[in-house]
Amino acid sequence: MEGWDPNTKSTLTQIPLLTTKAGPRDGAAWTQRLKEEYKALIAYTQMNKSNDNDWFRISAANPEGTRWTGKCWYVHNLLKYEFDLQFDIPVTYPSTAPELELPQLDGKTQKMYRGGKICLTVHFKPLWAKNCPRFGMAHALCLGLAPWLAAEVPVLVDSGMIKHKDDATTTSES
Amino acid sequence: MDDELLELQKQFEFAQQAKSSIRLSERNVVELVQKLQELHIIDFDLLHTVSGKEFITPEQLRNDILAEVRKLGRATLIDLADATAVDLYHVEKQAQLIVADDAGLMLIQGEIISQSYWDNVAEEINERLQESSQIALAEIAAQLQVGSELVASMLEPRLGTLVKGRLEGGQLYTPAYVARVTAMVRGAARGITVPTNLSVLWSALQQLLHEMEGASGVAVESMFFQSLFNGLVKEGEVLGFLRAGVHWTPTVFAIAQRECIDSFFSQNSFISYEALNKLGISQPVQFLQSRYPEGIPLVTVFIHPSTIEMLDSATEDAIERGSWIDSLSVLPASFGSQDASKILSLCPSVQLASKANKALIVVESYIFSDGFVKDTYVRMEKEMETLCLSGSPGVFQPNDSLMVKEATGRLDSSRSIELNETIDEIGHTKQSVEKGSKKKKGRSAGSTKTAVAESGMDNQEYMPTKSKKNQRKTKDTSSLQMSESKSGAKKDAAKMQEDNSIPSEDWVMKQIMMLVPEFDEQDDPEIILKPLASHFRPMLINSLKERRKALFTENAEKMKHLLDNLQRRLDESFLNLQLYEKALDLFEDDPSTSVILHRHLLRTTAASIVDILFLNLDMHNKLKNGIEVEESQNLESISFNSGERTALAKSLQGSLSKRALAVNEALEGKQVETFMTVFRELVEESGLLLKKLDKKLERTLLHSYRKDLTSQVSAESDPVSLLPKVVSLLYAQVHNKALQAPGRAISIAVSRLKDKLDDSAYKILADYQSATVMLLALMSAATGDEHDCTSDRISSKRELLESHIPALKALVLATRSLD
Repeated sequence: MEGWDPNTKSTLTQIPLLTTKAGPRDGAAWTQRLKEEYKALIAYTQMNKSNDNDWFRISAANPEGTRWTGKCWYVHNLLKYEFDLQFDIPVTYPSTAPELELPQLDGKTQKMYRGGKICLTVHFKPLWAKNCPRFGMAHALCLGLAPWLAAEVPVLVDSGMIKHKDDATTTSES
Repeated sequence: MDDELLELQKQFEFAQQAKSSIRLSERNVVELVQKLQELHIIDFDLLHTVSGKEFITPEQLRNDILAEVRKLGRATLIDLADATAVDLYHVEKQAQLIVADDAGLMLIQGEIISQSYWDNVAEEINERLQESSQIALAEIAAQLQVGSELVASMLEPRLGTLVKGRLEGGQLYTPAYVARVTAMVRGAARGITVPTNLSVLWSALQQLLHEMEGASGVAVESMFFQSLFNGLVKEGEVLGFLRAGVHWTPTVFAIAQRECIDSFFSQNSFISYEALNKLGISQPVQFLQSRYPEGIPLVTVFIHPSTIEMLDSATEDAIERGSWIDSLSVLPASFGSQDASKILSLCPSVQLASKANKALIVVESYIFSDGFVKDTYVRMEKEMETLCLSGSPGVFQPNDSLMVKEATGRLDSSRSIELNETIDEIGHTKQSVEKGSKKKKGRSAGSTKTAVAESGMDNQEYMPTKSKKNQRKTKDTSSLQMSESKSGAKKDAAKMQEDNSIPSEDWVMKQIMMLVPEFDEQDDPEIILKPLASHFRPMLINSLKERRKALFTENAEKMKHLLDNLQRRLDESFLNLQLYEKALDLFEDDPSTSVILHRHLLRTTAASIVDILFLNLDMHNKLKNGIEVEESQNLESISFNSGERTALAKSLQGSLSKRALAVNEALEGKQVETFMTVFRELVEESGLLLKKLDKKLERTLLHSYRKDLTSQVSAESDPVSLLPKVVSLLYAQVHNKALQAPGRAISIAVSRLKDKLDDSAYKILADYQSATVMLLALMSAATGDEHDCTSDRISSKRELLESHIPALKALVLATRSLD
């Protein structure tokens, strides 16, 4: 579990683990799995809210619950930077972790694959594999996206690759 | 899509929509508050708790404090600081503000106390007070843990309202109790009739109360009694006055005291301070002076002027009459001698007299008129003179040694003069000694006499170290006295000697007693006699000294004369002696005759020389010591026996005495030479000179001797006494030697002449001699019987002798004429 900051770790351990090992193609098992995913997400969201650490909004984009869209944000220097978030549940899920995409940042940073898929740390994959099927989407967000945002957004802001929307408007206006 | 999934979807949606709780970090909040203060949105002081996690506004703090105080009525600031968790500094500050705002609160010794609290306390105290009738403030204060002064200040306004009682000296009392104690105090105070220290009274009352109440009773402060008492005095319930706060003098006592003093003083016209002290007046002089301004304060008594008048008349009388008076005898018994002296100094007559030098005040109370003193002195001086005349000069008191030295110095010049003394002198001395001793016996008891005599002897023993000269004389004198007036007189003589030299105080006192017998009536005559004696004594001593000095000058002359005389006589006699001694050489070959002749010479000529010397030495001694000695001329008549001589010799001192004794011994011996040596030593020792016989002198002497003898022989008519003279003359003619032969040696002397005379002359001499011997034998054999034939034979012999006289005379006279 090394490689993550203590906050992340403590948060991760509080997210309920999942039990059903089922992919999108497994029919009822997937439904069951989806229910567990929701419960985990609810718990994680509540946890974030209660810690005043809410940082994303997602919702299933299709009834099967294989595509998810939403927003995520990060506050840097008292400014909130918000990005679109989307990802698909891969067929081999849960053995394979979902690939989280931030399409607005595509091409703006090196820590990203084409199409806005974020590069995760070397530690993520073995950890995920080890915890399959107990880890779900909530864990992926917690372990993957949150540290990535914390690491990349300040760099991007400082390098001027991204601008706050207010600034963007003022510059555009000017 | 089952419902459960939908439900979960909705729940998730809802959860995401739910407002996230806003979380601010402490740091942020602190920053926020600071920001607010910076922006003056919070425009008052913000306090924070000791934990540093809370801010609190002063107002809230005040409220908290107030709430806290209201709970119990009082709260310590420290407790408040704990309760509000605010720093004590702020609590104190706010507490002060609160107390300043609220009149019902007070801040005392780190505590906020409300008036209502005091009200409660007062009620409580009242309850307890009513139960136990008295409470000590200290007790209350200890209970409440506040200062007793604070309690007192809080109780005072509530006394009589909330607390029904009285506060007195740190005690609270119920009115009933106060009334009871007041009654006790009043009773005690009214009972007192003499001045009393109130604290004693209070302690007695305390004791009483304690007994009444048993152990439960709290000790009542004497201050309480005192204040009650003061109240009573103020109200006039007890009469008297208070001094120094504690000395209570009841009026009744003061009145009695005053009356007592008044009556005594008016009756006796004096009062002693002691009496006043007994009456409780500690400063009698001030008291009396303020009361009787005309009175006169003395040392121990206070008198009315009339007393002075009385004494004055008495003393005036005494002075005028030339008498004396003891003012104490006139004054009342309580007068001390110091008072007497003071009162005397106030008497006008005494003042006058002492100004005119007409009175003498002795021992403060005795006053002697000038006449009396003079009279006594004159009489005493006379007395002393008689004593001095009669006394022997032997001993001086040590302080007189100066005088002795002086005298000695004066005598040194006339040392080598012959001494001169008579038997009369001795007789006189003896007589006076006896007279003196009689006097002594009359005056002093036997027991003291011995002691005094001993001291006299001691003195005698002691004195010799003073001067050698003195020493010898003293011995001489006392030996004389010893020989003549025996042991009893001797002691007195010693005493007399002491008295004579300096009149002792004792003696003077005795004299005064004798002269003024009235002193005997005094209780203790010593008191007056002693100072009087010391007054007279220096005068007496002075006069004595003067007299003695005069005597010394006189005696020096006499001594010179005496020594001159002595030397002359001594020279004469000694030369004769030497002359006679020479004649003894003729008989050296005949021991028996020689012994007879030696002894004879010693018995006659030598003895008389020694006697003269001894007597003169003694007399010289007396003169030297300033004793008047009547010079007597018939020194020739002295003759001592050997015992007397020994006594005289013994009385001389040291080596002189030894030598004198040796001389005396030699006198008893058979050798003139021995005597000559020791005698010479003695004379040298005594500082005289002895002339040596030289040829020229011898011849002159011999010549005069022969002439003398010749005239004697021619004048002699007694046949018996003619013979030795003729023999002596013959010896002088024949041998040129002066022979002094006793009767026994005559025949031998005659036979020795045989060769020197012609036969007829010798025959005449021998016949005469044998006739004389026969006559003497007959005379000595005569029984005195008239009818005895011896008388006839004596007369016939005498006639025969007488018939031979002319022949004998012619013999010597013719021989003489032949020269």
